[in-house]
Amino acid sequence: MDGWIHWSAPAAAIAIALPAYAYQYSTVGTAQQQAFPGARFEEIQPQGVWKALAGDRLIGYFFVDHVIGKHLYIDYSVALGADGGVRRVEILTYRESYGFEVANAGWLAQFAGKTSGSALEINSDIRNISGATLSSRHVTEGVKRILAYYATHLR
Amino acid sequence: MLIISIKLAFYTERWGLAMRRKQQAARGQVGESGSIFASRARPVYFNALARRRYRGLTSALTVASFLAMAGSGALADEATAQGKPVAQPPNEQLIEKLDRMEARIRALESELHRKGETAESKKQTARTAASRGNPAKAPAGAKDTAPGFPGDNETAALEPPPPPNNDLFGVAPSPLPGLKIDAYGELRFGAQQNPAANGQWQTGFDAARVVLLPTYQFNDNIVFNSEIEFEHAGAGFDADDKLHGTAEIEQAYVDFRISPYINFRAPGIDLVPIDWLNLYHEPTNFYSVMRPELDNGLIPTTWKAPAASIWGQIVEGLNYEFQISQALEDFGGDFGLRTAANTVPPFPLGYAPGIDGVTALGFAQAPLGDFRQLSNYLGYTLRLSYMPSFLPGFDGGSTVYFTPSTTPRGAYAQINGALRGRSSLTIFETDFRYHVPDTGLEFRGEFADVIVGNPANLRANNDGDPTNNVGKSLFGASGEVAYHIPFGPVLGSKWEAVPFYRYTSQNFQTGGFAGTDLNFPTGSGRMQFHDVGVAIYPTPELVLKLNYTKALNAAPGGAQSDSVLGGVGFFF
Repeated sequence: MDGWIHWSAPAAAIAIALPAYAYQYSTVGTAQQQAFPGARFEEIQPQGVWKALAGDRLIGYFFVDHVIGKHLYIDYSVALGADGGVRRVEILTYRESYGFEVANAGWLAQFAGKTSGSALEINSDIRNISGATLSSRHVTEGVKRILAYYATHLR
Repeated sequence: MLIISIKLAFYTERWGLAMRRKQQAARGQVGESGSIFASRARPVYFNALARRRYRGLTSALTVASFLAMAGSGALADEATAQGKPVAQPPNEQLIEKLDRMEARIRALESELHRKGETAESKKQTARTAASRGNPAKAPAGAKDTAPGFPGDNETAALEPPPPPNNDLFGVAPSPLPGLKIDAYGELRFGAQQNPAANGQWQTGFDAARVVLLPTYQFNDNIVFNSEIEFEHAGAGFDADDKLHGTAEIEQAYVDFRISPYINFRAPGIDLVPIDWLNLYHEPTNFYSVMRPELDNGLIPTTWKAPAASIWGQIVEGLNYEFQISQALEDFGGDFGLRTAANTVPPFPLGYAPGIDGVTALGFAQAPLGDFRQLSNYLGYTLRLSYMPSFLPGFDGGSTVYFTPSTTPRGAYAQINGALRGRSSLTIFETDFRYHVPDTGLEFRGEFADVIVGNPANLRANNDGDPTNNVGKSLFGASGEVAYHIPFGPVLGSKWEAVPFYRYTSQNFQTGGFAGTDLNFPTGSGRMQFHDVGVAIYPTPELVLKLNYTKALNAAPGGAQSDSVLGGVGFFF
């Protein structure tokens, strides 16, 4: 009867020690600082688009958007440099049970340097993830849409 | 505090008056009544503060009372900061409230002003864009202004347009927020050799499956997933409907998303996490019309079981799932043959095996309904899936499955009714997919080994049939090569053609035999398959397939089950 305590105590310790941030891989603030360390951010569009400024000099743009994975939304962020090229794509929140491989740094690193002229197609210049075909396709489309938006409205 | 200050000021007045009276008494100016007002000699003005002698003192007291009032405010703040309840005087509360409202109005005004500015600037940008004749790189949602059309430039939105709400089958919004329903399905047609008809070529059609996937998000951390499947166009009882398929709940479980490293899947119907194709069995995920052969018997796709699990990420690129499920059952007969005591049909009625040397595990899944499982045994599965960063384009997985026994209650040998004991089952499985970066070349491979603990206790080795026996081991391996060729656009989207070739080899009767049966395997348990064909994707959610399969086995006359099949598969 006392034996179960030996097993539940470490389990309880682990459960208490785990951070309670669930599906959220990153916050907007953390992602902003990782993309543009030390920069100041000025909101152009509430909750959506920021300018990144070093002093008074524009060093880039920061977008927060969401796409559908298979059923549920994926929140992600795209940081563009002043030249309009992608600096960093970050998955902020992934809600589904499958397909979270899109949050892998190695896969997201493919977007670095892409511009509005890039193809940004799965199996063309962006690798597919065989267990996350829909999520990887939709995130790629989202980044492409943000680059197109940049080209038509911000450049 | 204000009350105290008022009282202090009041008492200061009273004290001043008292001093004045004392002074007058000293001068003999106080009347019989002792009232300072009743002086006959000199009218006394009730203005203690005007009296020079006590003016300084009363002034000091009044100043002190005002300071007390100011200090009370500070003291109140301090007390509140210390967490002690401070009764603020009503006036102060009102003033504070007014200040807050004013600040809020100012904030709203500036926000409105800013929005007005951006609306102006977006109109400017839209007009400039139109005048520059910008080609259609606009975000989806902005409407093109063709000449003659009342273009809607103002709605060329500044913010990236939200993705369309396509919760219902991907085409219409959901009636209940948080509920989404997706669907997938496969339709097959073509010509097949029928081994039961001596290899005669017969044409035919199969609405293999249409599956609905209702998903409900209770909140951001708790998600419900399910699959409702109709196989072979469903099930029915009217003779004119000719339906002998299946309507089943293939998956139904709730996920508690705790952290990226550990999540809990509550007991429900879930896929056993063995074999990538068992987990990702939608028709757009494989190129042949039929599911890969290795995933039909050796791994009985779709292998689902009553199960609960924990899953998550170990490090980036390495994920795990540990599942406890209802064990496989070595009973392959109709559900209706189970006794009310949840045993196999009693001797000498006989019953079909769940594990055998021809169909492997295809008939061994435990039932999902009505508490009619035939044993108390559980199965334990651990899967590791990896997407290593040092090999981009590669992903794979490996699984171990173990159950202490697959023997159902009451299992017996057909020859004499002697009860059979336990027989454990262990499965090792590993699979991979490698899409060579910057090319269209893709490789896939899979290997599975099923190890029977005690073959002497399997029904197949004790059912009186000498041709379906099972050894200690059933195994299979397959390798596939495919090439992705994009073409188009055709009919409004970019298409992709994927020619492929797959080779599969399986042996279900190896490792030695034990049991009461005679042992004369026909060789049909040793088989090879060659699949060649092409899968065409008009969109990633739709696939058109054409596929020739050559089946070989070691039985006399061969497998007699070649086929040329076409298929339509969708997943949205």
